[in-house]
Amino acid sequence: MQASRARLFKEYKEVQREKSADPDIQLVCDDSNIFKWTALIKGPSETPFEGGVFQLAFAVPEQYPLQPPQVRFLTKIFHPNVHFKTGEICLDILKNAWSPAWTLQSVCRAIIALMAHPEPDSPLNCDSGNLLRSGDTRGYQSMARMYTRLAAMPKKG
Amino acid sequence: MVSDSITNASIPSIPNSKDFAKKKRTNRSAKLKQCKLDARREQWLSQGAVKSKGCKDGLGDDRKERDRALENSRQREEDNNNDRSIHHESDSESPSNSPVNSLLSGGGTDSATNFGGSSGSSSSSGSSVCGSSTGGCCSGSITEEEEEDGCLDDWEAVADALAADDDNNNNKTEVEHDNPCYQSPSESQLSVQSDSLHDLTSEFGLDSVNSMPDSARVGYNMRAWRPDDAFRPQTLPNLAKQRSFPASDRRFVPGGVPWTCNNVLTVPSSCPICCEELDFTDSNFLPCLCGFRLCLFCHKRILEEDGRCPGCRKPYKRDEIESEASVQGGSLTFRLARSCSMIARS
Repeated sequence: MQASRARLFKEYKEVQREKSADPDIQLVCDDSNIFKWTALIKGPSETPFEGGVFQLAFAVPEQYPLQPPQVRFLTKIFHPNVHFKTGEICLDILKNAWSPAWTLQSVCRAIIALMAHPEPDSPLNCDSGNLLRSGDTRGYQSMARMYTRLAAMPKKG
Repeated sequence: MVSDSITNASIPSIPNSKDFAKKKRTNRSAKLKQCKLDARREQWLSQGAVKSKGCKDGLGDDRKERDRALENSRQREEDNNNDRSIHHESDSESPSNSPVNSLLSGGGTDSATNFGGSSGSSSSSGSSVCGSSTGGCCSGSITEEEEEDGCLDDWEAVADALAADDDNNNNKTEVEHDNPCYQSPSESQLSVQSDSLHDLTSEFGLDSVNSMPDSARVGYNMRAWRPDDAFRPQTLPNLAKQRSFPASDRRFVPGGVPWTCNNVLTVPSSCPICCEELDFTDSNFLPCLCGFRLCLFCHKRILEEDGRCPGCRKPYKRDEIESEASVQGGSLTFRLARSCSMIARS
């Protein structure tokens, strides 16, 4: 409990100090609860998510960093490894490959990498995974781009 | 009165002897004055004056007695100096980390040289700092937190208050950047000393630190050379020697030293998992070949759960850990040397 608090506090200070270090990630701690974090990540370039800003919700367990944080997308995203309704993310480092040396910031980076490199063989979004597995890259990209435009881009006008 | 203090504040080289005399006279009531001063400073700080300009204005307003003006203008001026320097330095360096130089330990001459910004004389001024008081350390640690929280505005007030609490026998000098005390947000003298002691031990790998003469020890404590520090004296032993590698093993390392700068092998000052300070036992604890260090407490907790090294995700080997933790001899150093050489090559 205390260890997780100390660790999160250090990460908080780290984030404050290096706000400009990673312009694609904006990590904010909840005002009243250091175990709740929100992140805004920019969709990586040259992917259907380019130009979108995606919101992630972190729920950090008290055993952190020995247990991974629970992360989910708050912004709708069409991605084979993200549940379309709940936003749950299928990512090994958030499950069995977690290491206490990881930080919330590095988790954000891993999620950005996952957006650029989907794993259609372990899909949470079967429609998206099936498009990719059947080789319909164009179909996947246009679907993903459409949802990026619908959900992750600021409305014009 | 007002103009007096202002001119004094703007002159960078007030004779130190004069200051000291003044200082001694004002010592008795300085604590009380400082309280009042702090209150006033709070006032004008909250008025939102521009910092550097506000300093002098505030000084002018504050003065009621001549000696008080002198004393505080000098402090202020030094704060300004520090203030100036921080704009050139990175954020992690706290402006008011001025090591407090004590008259009692005869640090007067050092303060003059350090004041000019020469970093070469750091160790001597450092020794007087630790020998006399923790004023520098305390103000350093506290203001560091303030700064990281983004409230740069009243670091001056905090620093001044702390310096005043410190029996007022102190004279502020220029900031030393690699002071290990900043990194340890510890409040008491005891913990500050022990923290820097850990730094020293982790840096030098010495068992016998406690037996060293006080002055020499704290002198180095305040400086805590890093391996890549530009001002690091050549005579200091580097990590390579202190790990007592057999000479035959060192041929694995082409350059001899480069891996000492490698992050994997330099001992971190705090556990990357729980962020607690690594004590002497922890910093000599190398549970995994990959070089990932952590404190014994976290290591135990990890063993109870999935038992894999956070650095490389390979499972810890339980029997080896025990021997590695206890034995400082040949097997450990050889193992270290191998992993080091692989890192240096890759």
